[in-house]
Amino acid sequence: MVSDEVLRTHLQELRRGTVVVASLVALRRPDYGYALLQRLARHGFPVEANTLYPLLRRLEEQGLLASEWNTQESRPRRIYRTSESGEALLRRLLDDLAAVQSSLSGLIEGADQ
Amino acid sequence: MTSLTDRYLAATRRAVPAARREGIAAELRALIEDMIDARTGAGQDAASAEREVLAELGDPERLAARYTGRRPYLLGPTYYPAWERLVTLLLSFVPLTVGALVGLLQAADGDNVGGAVGQGVSAAFQVAVQIVFWVTLVFVVLERTNTPLELPAWSVDQLPRVPVERQIGLADTAASVAFLALVIVFLPLQHLRSFATTATGDNLPLLDPALWGFWLPWLIGVLVAAVGVEIAKYRAGCWTWPLVGVNAMVNAAFAVPVVWLLLTGRMLNPELVRHVDWLARGDNLDRVATVVAVGTVLVVLWDTVDSVVRAYRSRGCGAGRPAADPGHPVND
Repeated sequence: MVSDEVLRTHLQELRRGTVVVASLVALRRPDYGYALLQRLARHGFPVEANTLYPLLRRLEEQGLLASEWNTQESRPRRIYRTSESGEALLRRLLDDLAAVQSSLSGLIEGADQ
Repeated sequence: MTSLTDRYLAATRRAVPAARREGIAAELRALIEDMIDARTGAGQDAASAEREVLAELGDPERLAARYTGRRPYLLGPTYYPAWERLVTLLLSFVPLTVGALVGLLQAADGDNVGGAVGQGVSAAFQVAVQIVFWVTLVFVVLERTNTPLELPAWSVDQLPRVPVERQIGLADTAASVAFLALVIVFLPLQHLRSFATTATGDNLPLLDPALWGFWLPWLIGVLVAAVGVEIAKYRAGCWTWPLVGVNAMVNAAFAVPVVWLLLTGRMLNPELVRHVDWLARGDNLDRVATVVAVGTVLVVLWDTVDSVVRAYRSRGCGAGRPAADPGHPVND
């Protein structure tokens, strides 16, 4: 029987890198942090605000996201979108994710024989 | 009147670099307000919603650390192994050495042996604390400045040998070393503070003070070598033939002079013999010398024979042969 604590840490490990991929995909459509957080949650990527916000800043510093302030709404919001180099990195990451998935499938089928 | 949100943002602003402070604070304020709105929209009252949202964002220091990439720990995995090795190495001998020296100097200087021991222990403790503090400080600075350590890379040759069967336990080694250390300390101490005194209250050394010319320093040197043999033995994990040879030489270097000095009547302080009536009477002095000499020879012979027997039993130990362990099935 796997304890909840062990399960939680392994799921966390497994999910860690996918938040970056999901954010880069989602921000092909520009959005601000909290709206992105809600969109990710709706699509099965629950992520804490105190993780996502610093992550967005880090991705921006790495040039993978571009951002600008939107002051037209009731409160000023920083709008992020995936940059060109972010798109290039995303394609590599998606390829790798697909490779991991197919490797895993191969392994599962191989284990049956 | 400042709101909890203002206080939260102020605490976060303090911990992030000035250049990014305003942007981060403005973005976080909008986030907090959005999160509060989501809760009040669902019917919650504003005050408890604010508390919940801030609690969910967590410790502002930690949040700021995530923004700056600052490490919320003292020493990371890059530097920790080197720190641990250095501290262990220094603590293994420096405090003990300093404490013993301070204790001996104090004992030689005054006549308060208990106080000297206390000062030695206190000096050893202070040195240990200082070592840990300064080494840690240096490593923390290295960690914060990302200084490369330039240490030689780890290689498989550094793997410690696994003895076939550990004959020599840590407790045995510690007991032997402690006993040898006591004897080493006893030799100068008996000169300074023995139980015997003259009629006028002056201290009477047990051993002939003339022996300080050569033989007592020689014996102390041999005892220090014996400590070295104990440590080498512990590191090897069992008796090896070279260790048996060195041990026999050390034993001989101790026993031969002691027996010779005893039997030629040059070991004990002649002043002491004159002052202790029982020793001066009849053959008593010779009898004591003979008993001690025979005792010394027996102990040394027993130790040497025991080492030969144990080395014979542990043939192959230390040759780098991995421990055979047929009792363990391989799990997969």
